[in-house]
Amino acid sequence: MGLLESLRNSFSRRSDASHARGDKEDLFDDDFQRKLDYLAIVSRRVFAGRMRAERRTKKTGSGVEFADHREYQPGDDFRYLDWNVYQRFDKLLLRLFEEEEDLAIYLIVDASGSMAFGGGDKLRYAKRVCAALAYVGLANLDRVCIVSTSDRVMMRMAETRGKARIFKVFRFLRELESAGTTDLGDALKTFVAQHKRRGLAVLISDLYDPQGFERGINVLRYNKFDPFVVHIVDKTEEKPKLFGDVLLYDCETGDEREVTVTPKVLARFREEYEKYIHDIDRFCATRQVPYVRADVSVAFDELILRVFRRGGFLR
Amino acid sequence: MIFAGLGFAQLAAIFGVVGAAVVGLYVLRLRRRTVAIPFSPLWQKILKDKDATTLFSRLKRLLSLLLQLALLALLVFALGDPRAAATLVKGRTLVVLVDASASMQATDVSPNRLEVAKNEVKAMIRGLGGADRMLIAQMDAMVTPLGPMSGDTSELERALDQVKATDARADFPRALRFATDTLRNVELGEIVVVSDGNLGPPLDASGPVHLGDDKLSFVSVGTGKRNVGITQFSVRRYPLDKSRYEVMLEVTNTGPEQQDIELSLLGDGNVVDLTKLRLMPGERLPRFYPNLSGASRTLEAKLANVDGTHDDLPADDHAYALLPERRRAKVLVVSEGNTYLEAALLLDEYLEVTQVSPTDYVNKQAGGSGFDVVVFDRVTPASPPKAHALYLDPRGPGSPVKVDTELTAPGFDKIDRKHPIVRFTALDDVNVAHGHKLVPDLAAGDKVVGAFGGTSPILVAGSRGAYKFVAVGFDVRDSDLPLRVAWPLFLLNTVNFFTDEDARYISSFRTGDVWRVPVSTQATEATLALPGGGTERVPVHEGRAVYLGERAGFYELTAGDSAATPEQPSPINGANKTAFAANLLDAEESTIAPVPELVVDGKTAGKVEGFHVGVRREIWIYLLLAAVLLTALEWATYHRRITV
Repeated sequence: MGLLESLRNSFSRRSDASHARGDKEDLFDDDFQRKLDYLAIVSRRVFAGRMRAERRTKKTGSGVEFADHREYQPGDDFRYLDWNVYQRFDKLLLRLFEEEEDLAIYLIVDASGSMAFGGGDKLRYAKRVCAALAYVGLANLDRVCIVSTSDRVMMRMAETRGKARIFKVFRFLRELESAGTTDLGDALKTFVAQHKRRGLAVLISDLYDPQGFERGINVLRYNKFDPFVVHIVDKTEEKPKLFGDVLLYDCETGDEREVTVTPKVLARFREEYEKYIHDIDRFCATRQVPYVRADVSVAFDELILRVFRRGGFLR
Repeated sequence: MIFAGLGFAQLAAIFGVVGAAVVGLYVLRLRRRTVAIPFSPLWQKILKDKDATTLFSRLKRLLSLLLQLALLALLVFALGDPRAAATLVKGRTLVVLVDASASMQATDVSPNRLEVAKNEVKAMIRGLGGADRMLIAQMDAMVTPLGPMSGDTSELERALDQVKATDARADFPRALRFATDTLRNVELGEIVVVSDGNLGPPLDASGPVHLGDDKLSFVSVGTGKRNVGITQFSVRRYPLDKSRYEVMLEVTNTGPEQQDIELSLLGDGNVVDLTKLRLMPGERLPRFYPNLSGASRTLEAKLANVDGTHDDLPADDHAYALLPERRRAKVLVVSEGNTYLEAALLLDEYLEVTQVSPTDYVNKQAGGSGFDVVVFDRVTPASPPKAHALYLDPRGPGSPVKVDTELTAPGFDKIDRKHPIVRFTALDDVNVAHGHKLVPDLAAGDKVVGAFGGTSPILVAGSRGAYKFVAVGFDVRDSDLPLRVAWPLFLLNTVNFFTDEDARYISSFRTGDVWRVPVSTQATEATLALPGGGTERVPVHEGRAVYLGERAGFYELTAGDSAATPEQPSPINGANKTAFAANLLDAEESTIAPVPELVVDGKTAGKVEGFHVGVRREIWIYLLLAAVLLTALEWATYHRRITV
């Protein structure tokens, strides 16, 4: 029996079992979750945390792993005096231990209208990625917070920790629906204002931002969050099935434009699309922002287990 | 250029209406399909460049509209059936007479002459000029136009398919008169005869046929000459022994070579006689088969070559005949006793004679109902019997004819020798002691068969209601008639006359003649079952079904109502049904040697010319082809995004 299955059983004793089964079926299967049990999120930087978890921080304290000595000062806890040193050197030194803290992981899901384009594959995929990351974070006793954005912060799931809260994540994501235009800059400004505690900010988006995808990422960077970009792409958008006289309209803004689509036009569109993807990749690389491109046509578990590991997100 | 189809005003109206619809639909088509995209800025740069080509795109769209309007113009123009005025004026009017006589069934060419003739006509149809018009008529015992005068090839080919072979000879003069009548006052009229040429002289009761200005062309069909046919076939029963019959037939070799043949005679499907014959070229060989027995109904003569092969014309290798059906006639004799009468009636075993006294007749026989014939010997009933009746020396008010003054030593000074009751008899020198003058009712159709001195009828035949009668104005015992051969013949002739079992029975009809088959019905129509299966309704006129038969074989005629009513006597072949046979029996038609040239009205028919397969003068066909090509062009340019 998988871990989630046992969790689900314990959960079902307190709540509606069928409801929990529905959540599970929407997002993960048992095999997939068993694999995720062995993964943990690593942060490229050590964050200060409020609760002890499996991350080492700069802070020394009551952990079990020795870190350093410092001179005793009045008021220090006698229990941490290193009596062996005092016996040898006649100095009162206090033993310092590395404190293990929890990590704040912010999963920012773009829920703008473009994410629902093409049957909603991108949003569905983003939800799964978000759920997987949330599960891994919760399993490592990290503090996980999920935020959905469009041109503003739309919904927010309060910070939570512990694997038992995964169903809360599922419920939150299930209720998440796409709407509105994309303005990551404004939305993330609101986000950083609402979340004082810094941490890992995973932006899951198709980055179709008319104002420029850079603004949102820069907001995170400038406010000392550790941004991680998961770029959701749908290859069918690169090769739209268009021919002849059509009236194009933007599914977010509603802007309309007449165009006669010919093979030549389609080829030029592909060039533009690839250039846009390349610009994002180059931007993230030059700013040292971890970037993973998640193609909805790639099998979901393959993305989580192989692509994320290769991208340094999982260890 | 003229329009043979719709007029210019109609075409303009159609083009206007449909053109407006096309433009309207085109405008609707210009409403673009709305397609959602996820991120419009990606398209911005492309669309900026695209703006520069908008004018060119509009021009291309206009080209598409123009293509469609051109397509419409072609179709509308085709509806008008435009033709060059010159070609219309010079169009020929052709009457094609396709010979469907028996000789056209000859198989000297494959599959037979008629099919080859049809192929020839089909080639002519496909080579018709755009302004030419043609009428196809089948020429056999009559002439039958198979369709209207038309230039439409499919319609003409459908008409040609209706040509069917017959077993009759062709009535060439009638066909020519039909053709000349059809072409009267028509310019460039042409009669095309497609035949083996064995048509006989173009001469009928009205004299020779004149062609006038019409051109005559002839297509000769056939190559072979080898044929032996049955040219005569007749059969009859012996009057006094109807179980036996005699057959006369004639076989003719119309070919140029000596032929060894095998002649079979079949009675009811069984071989009655088989003879091997050798016929020299042109020889006519009559054969007589007397005193045959073993067949009760059908007779068939068949010819085959000794080596088992068939000659070129199988149609005349068979001949059919029907013997008159033998049926026991029920005869009631009302007499106090007449040995001569009883003895004569015993001669025919097919008579079922019942004799009663006059008293028993009144008490028991109820007017002779149930009998075919009642013979009143010196007795005259108060009311006429319900059967045919022979009155010997009638008297009193019950007599069918008035009995007038007594005659002393009358004789048959005047005899209607064509009447069936006196057939084969010699009554001129019959001696009669005394008799009575009979007064026939001429208004009722009575006929004087025998008269004394020219003015005193002593033998009268006629009918009262549905029943015939014969009245003899003397007692046969007062004459030497019973001592003569004529007496039993007279009696049997009379019974046969009553029952229609006539010695003149026609064993078979000839194809190509109008048959008048007697039927016993008041109906105006009868149903004729044909030899090859199928039925036809034929009119009945004055008691005879009239039909022009063209197929050899056995026929069965059913009168309008299915069962005979009590008032209607049973006809010869049973209740309202008459069977008969028909044969070709035509030596000229059996002569199948093709004639190389045809001469009519002093003109020799020329060869058929002016038919060029594949060249059509109808412009509309080319217009339609152009429309199809244009459609293909539009389709290709549209799908290759050239005109979008």
